[in-house]
Amino acid sequence: MKILVAFKRVIDPDARIKLTADRSGVDTDSVEYKANPFCENALEEALQIAEEHDGEVVLVSAGGPDIDKTIRAGLALGAERAIRVEIEDTVLDSDLAARVFAAVYKEEEPDIFFFGKQAIDSDNNQCGQLVAEYLGLPQACFASEVVIDDDGEVATVTREVDGGLETIALTLPAVITADLRLNTPRFAKLPDIMKAGRKTIDVMDLDDLDIEDTALKIELVSLEEPSARQAGVKVGSIDELVDKLKNEARAL
Amino acid sequence: MSDLFNPTDEHRALREMVRTFTERDVDPQASEFDRSEGFNAPLFRKLGELGLLGITVDPEVGGSGMDAVAAVIAHEELASADPGFCLSYLAHSMLFANNLERNGSLEQRKRFMPDACSGKTICGMGMSEPGAGTDVLGMRTTAVRDGDHYVLNGAKMWITNGAVSDTELGDVFLIYARTSEERVNGVSLFLVEKGAPGFRLGQKLHDKLGMRASPTAELVFEDCRIPVANLVGEEGDATHHMMRNLEIERLTLAGMSLGMARRSIEIMNRYAAERKAFGRPISAFGQIQRHIAESYAEWMAGRAYVYHVAGLLDLDSGGNRIDSDGVKLYCSTMAKNVCDRAIQVLGGYGYVGEYQVERLWRDAKLIEIGGGTIEAHHKNMTRDLSKLDKLR
Repeated sequence: MKILVAFKRVIDPDARIKLTADRSGVDTDSVEYKANPFCENALEEALQIAEEHDGEVVLVSAGGPDIDKTIRAGLALGAERAIRVEIEDTVLDSDLAARVFAAVYKEEEPDIFFFGKQAIDSDNNQCGQLVAEYLGLPQACFASEVVIDDDGEVATVTREVDGGLETIALTLPAVITADLRLNTPRFAKLPDIMKAGRKTIDVMDLDDLDIEDTALKIELVSLEEPSARQAGVKVGSIDELVDKLKNEARAL
Repeated sequence: MSDLFNPTDEHRALREMVRTFTERDVDPQASEFDRSEGFNAPLFRKLGELGLLGITVDPEVGGSGMDAVAAVIAHEELASADPGFCLSYLAHSMLFANNLERNGSLEQRKRFMPDACSGKTICGMGMSEPGAGTDVLGMRTTAVRDGDHYVLNGAKMWITNGAVSDTELGDVFLIYARTSEERVNGVSLFLVEKGAPGFRLGQKLHDKLGMRASPTAELVFEDCRIPVANLVGEEGDATHHMMRNLEIERLTLAGMSLGMARRSIEIMNRYAAERKAFGRPISAFGQIQRHIAESYAEWMAGRAYVYHVAGLLDLDSGGNRIDSDGVKLYCSTMAKNVCDRAIQVLGGYGYVGEYQVERLWRDAKLIEIGGGTIEAHHKNMTRDLSKLDKLR
């Protein structure tokens, strides 16, 4: 069984970020990057399935050589090799990323294509769905449990939906996007960190993949920082609290 | 771009892994084990799963095959959350595993290393005695050859991981003992296992000021019989082994001081920005600014010194005593002072357990004593420096 995992880097979510002077983006001069947490859940699930079904896990990411560090971190967790599609990651939107991933799918023909349900930088939550659409594959988004049958032909996926849980069965190949409660990602073991440096990262570009439509569908107009948080107030009684919640915050 | 603190991608990945592990698994348990003076054996075994226990050991015998910089990174990160737990890690991975890796035979390494690297056994090293510390060659424990055995008599003191509970010994130890009266060339090194006849726990020590999450014990040898196969290296050549292993020991202890100082700076920095007095955050006051700024500068100076020395340290050769003592001399007192300033910045909140700095302050003091007192460093460094006319 072959499992492809889309693996994206994001700016360290614990770091304080600031916008560039023209508000066209985030100032990336001295920021640290980490793997997108949902992608880590996707990779962990892929690794567990591969261990159980004797499979191979391949990472795919899009960006310049500076994303190799994040890819190596994924290789240290247990993926066997990786594909990096050479593109400036500042000129990617969800649609172009999805077209890139769909093209890589055609090259690799995996049984499962795992994504994180969304990246925590732009929170778009579109990539997995678009890829499934472009490839005509069944999809299960926001997975909190994935079970693959013994023959490796059907995935039974529990999805976290607004009203509760929904369990669906998909015929493989399929696209699955991971939610946070799907699993707890493992730590990289030291010997695997050492081995990751010797694993292969194949580099492809848009021409190699025959992607015709490279137009961005989303134009970023501007970014705003959130307004500063107002100081809280102390209330003297429960009655006053309820009154404020009703009449000032209008939360009740 | 070269980064002194993370010279390769592997070092950076190691630091990120240990830091995430520390935040998720080490931080939450630290205060409980400090209070109870207990040893968290299950957490210790997790270090084995991650490949940290044999960090400098050859992969052929179960280790991870990394270098001195990697060892410093692991200690810096773990000690930022739980120095006591990290001290047990140091005794096991540096004093036992790295020592046996450099000085033991292939047969001995194959026999003891896989279990030491996985955490199945909990190990330590015995050098100091009730009556011999800084004057380590004044040790009185003897080993006398008797057929195909050595017979050990004496006691070892302040042995980290010597006990895993009030009554139970640790598993395997490297023990220095005299095989002749010759001061330097009369010391030999032995592997002593729990269960060896005549080997017993003297006492698990209680009421330590800090480092309470690492068990410390007195080990007693009464006509303790050790097979000749457990002699490490040649009879009488262990002083050399000891001096070489003290270099990585002191370097990683200095790495622990860096972790304690870093956490203290983070805590006082955050607190000073949030806490208000006279209508302003206290970070607006010069007295507080001095505590924070001086702490940061001293920490970075120590950090640069430690990683510079670590980058140059070849684990297989000795002769770096000036700087392996120097980093510990500087960083131990630096960290103690930084922790002290953090308590001062936090005022009453710093004096109680919730904000961690009082624990770090108690733990930081140990590095001025354990693994060589600062007075021992003064002595060693001055002696070695006296042989140099010019400094490079």
